[in-house]
Amino acid sequence: MLSEQILKTSKLTKRFGNLIAVDQVDLEIKKEEIIGLIGPNGAGKTTFFNLITGLETPDEGQVIFKGTDITTMSPHAICKLGMSRTFQVAKSFTEMSVEEAIRVGAYNRRGEEEVQTKVDWALEFFELEDIRDYKCSDLGLSSLRKVEVARAAATEPELLLLDEVGAGLTAAELLKLMSELKRLNEETKITLCIVEHVMQMVMGLCERIFVLDAGELIAKGIPSEISNNQRVIEAYLGRRSYSESSSTG
Amino acid sequence: MNHKKKQNLENLLLLFFLIIAILVPLIFGSNQYNILLVTTVLIYGVMATSWNIIGGLAGQVDLASFAYLGLGAFTSGTLLIRFNLTPWIGMILGGLVAVAFALLIGIPLFRFRIKEVWYALTTCALVEILKVVFNMWEEIGGPVERYLPYFSGSVYHMRFGSYVPYYYLILGMLVIALLVNSRIAHSKLGFYLKALGEDETAAEVLGVNTRACKLRALVYYSFLIGVTGAIYANIYGFIHPSFFNGQESIKIAILGIVGGRGITYGPLLAALLLVGTQELLRASLGGEVSGLYLVIYSVILILVVLFKPRGIATFFQYRNKKPVKQEVKKKNVV
Amino acid sequence: MEVIIQSLFDGALMGCIYALIALGLSLIFGVMNVVNFAHGNFVMLSMYFSFWAGSLWGIDAVLTPLITFPLLFVIGMLVYYGIIDRTLQEHYTIQIAVTVGLMTFLGAITQLAWKAQPRALSYSFIQGNIQFGGYTIALSRLISAIISLIIIISISFFLSKTWPGRTIRATSDDSDAASLMGVDFRKTYALAFGLGSSLTAISGGLLMTFQQVDPTMGLRFGLLSWCILALAGLGSIPGLLISGLIIGIGESLAMSFWDPRARSLVIYLIFILVLWLRPRGLFGRK
Repeated sequence: MLSEQILKTSKLTKRFGNLIAVDQVDLEIKKEEIIGLIGPNGAGKTTFFNLITGLETPDEGQVIFKGTDITTMSPHAICKLGMSRTFQVAKSFTEMSVEEAIRVGAYNRRGEEEVQTKVDWALEFFELEDIRDYKCSDLGLSSLRKVEVARAAATEPELLLLDEVGAGLTAAELLKLMSELKRLNEETKITLCIVEHVMQMVMGLCERIFVLDAGELIAKGIPSEISNNQRVIEAYLGRRSYSESSSTG
Repeated sequence: MNHKKKQNLENLLLLFFLIIAILVPLIFGSNQYNILLVTTVLIYGVMATSWNIIGGLAGQVDLASFAYLGLGAFTSGTLLIRFNLTPWIGMILGGLVAVAFALLIGIPLFRFRIKEVWYALTTCALVEILKVVFNMWEEIGGPVERYLPYFSGSVYHMRFGSYVPYYYLILGMLVIALLVNSRIAHSKLGFYLKALGEDETAAEVLGVNTRACKLRALVYYSFLIGVTGAIYANIYGFIHPSFFNGQESIKIAILGIVGGRGITYGPLLAALLLVGTQELLRASLGGEVSGLYLVIYSVILILVVLFKPRGIATFFQYRNKKPVKQEVKKKNVV
Repeated sequence: MEVIIQSLFDGALMGCIYALIALGLSLIFGVMNVVNFAHGNFVMLSMYFSFWAGSLWGIDAVLTPLITFPLLFVIGMLVYYGIIDRTLQEHYTIQIAVTVGLMTFLGAITQLAWKAQPRALSYSFIQGNIQFGGYTIALSRLISAIISLIIIISISFFLSKTWPGRTIRATSDDSDAASLMGVDFRKTYALAFGLGSSLTAISGGLLMTFQQVDPTMGLRFGLLSWCILALAGLGSIPGLLISGLIIGIGESLAMSFWDPRARSLVIYLIFILVLWLRPRGLFGRK
């Protein structure tokens, strides 16, 4: 079991005017882990993702990915290095077909000769073969989500960030997605970091969990520790949280 | 698959068109006026097809096509006038000069996160700047036409006694432009351009260097137009700052958008239809037509953009698309 | 030296008028992110309307905005509902394309209607010059500049203190939040578009007191406004005014010291320079 670090942020901070969106966050992810990043709405999770993928520049702090300082690197260079992500509000390539969209991702590491193989792999892995020729704008929610994940996975990343891919899915769709993600992690050794509100997904998949609230990292640990954590429960007060021992508090 | 089918249909259409185009001058025989007319239509075709690379594939509204045309014309023409340099070399240099200017505005403006509108506005400004500069620049430009040296029938000087050779030259440029379009569209660059046109942010995180891709498209486009500019100068026999025409540049963009952004033969189709009819009307009704036709152009643009935003070429495209929609939603049951 | 100061005066006065033109555009672009390529043509259109009103009914140029202001407001609203509204959800190239089409349309229509030769109105009652410490200032320009300043300040007041104005600002900041609070953002957009367009009527009328109009001016005013906007950045009206002054003075100096033909050149070069070096503008908020 490799315990080598793949991502590390130190004192990562981002301000928008007077609002501190991400506040001195120290976070480490080890290779092949499945990490969860949770927190109430507005906690700064998406901003955090934006910071580490190069879409925003932090005001303070560092991001180290695979030993390289990527704090000010551009998003496409970071992807080349091996990090990819999905978006909370699906940014699909509306006029492209499912296959074409995945192809865009696959070109990250593959040249013209091999790219089709990668596309076929992704279509098969995520069970999208039947809809490969359908326009992205015509897809239903869960297919759209899978295409987002497939597209990002096709870039052959070492770290894949998933931003609320579970939202709005039915129980059955959720289970399917979870098993696919688990398979992805096991077969291709991709490290996963998922931002989620759907606790079932978080607790079911993640080995370790980080909790953000108002930009600050308030807790980290294994799922059972987190669900019993006082501060976490308080942060979520009033929201549904998956916890068997919810009587505490 | 679907990809291949589309490609074959496109190729077939193009072949068909080419055959007709090659035969056209033979039909007109020695009617120089008509030959010039169809040459003009084809020039717009070349420019609109080249525009498609930046405007259709890369999704950037470029309003400077005649800036690059003018630059190509002035480079080649000036070198011919001053140094007797053959336009066959001059046109390559013209293309390179056009590329240089294009990069000048492309490099700062294609940075990630800069809104596309600023690029469009800057291209507008570029044409105007060049017009004034060349008007004021007495040595190279100036307000009076500079005539290219007259040697009838000299291939070296690219001066022919009839318009027919020019017609074929332009036709050749058209073929090149179409090929470049097609090659790019089906390549990695093409996919990357399409992706960034859809969603620049998503493309970036998938490894697309959006700025580099746009610049590459810009280089292809401006080079093609620059080369065409050199030929253009030789057809008309002079160079003049009025070549830097903002209104006509907008027209090229209109052709590209109306025809079908990203569809290889779309802008050509629009050029044939719109410019073709305009030239035919001008032949029968006289100069008044231009003003009225501009009104028509703009109305067509607005209508197409509002009601058929993918362009008129999509009338052909629908035969290839599979019936979609309802089926997919059901498939989500696991 | 005297020439410089004279140029500075003239330029500054024109700058105020230019700032007013840019203000209209800033309202539209800043609020709804719509790129109105046709803004300059609205200015030109109002100048033609002023010309009409002036020559048909003998109204003094300065007073024509009384007619053209509501006229342009209506036209603006019509354009919004007819064209702009439909493109809000579309790809950005569609938005650009549609307003470029509008720009071409207006340019072509005015050319057909009024032909290519420039049109001017006979002398306004604010004609004449005044002497100021040895320098000559055209009264028409001075008054136009003052009126422009008054309007700019009024609009600033309107945006920050009145209800419709604040809804415009709120909608521009966050249309989702605004609609949650009961603001019909489309009505607000229409209002902003109408207002932004009608402001051009005032500038148009003022300009007609000392200038002529021809069909090519649309592009010039359009690029001018965008240049001021780029220089100023979004969100600051004082910034807009200062940028307007810079542009006006720049143009004036170019005409005096370089070449009258270079008047627009300087503006376009500043434009490109700003976009290269400081895309956010000098005073930008976003």
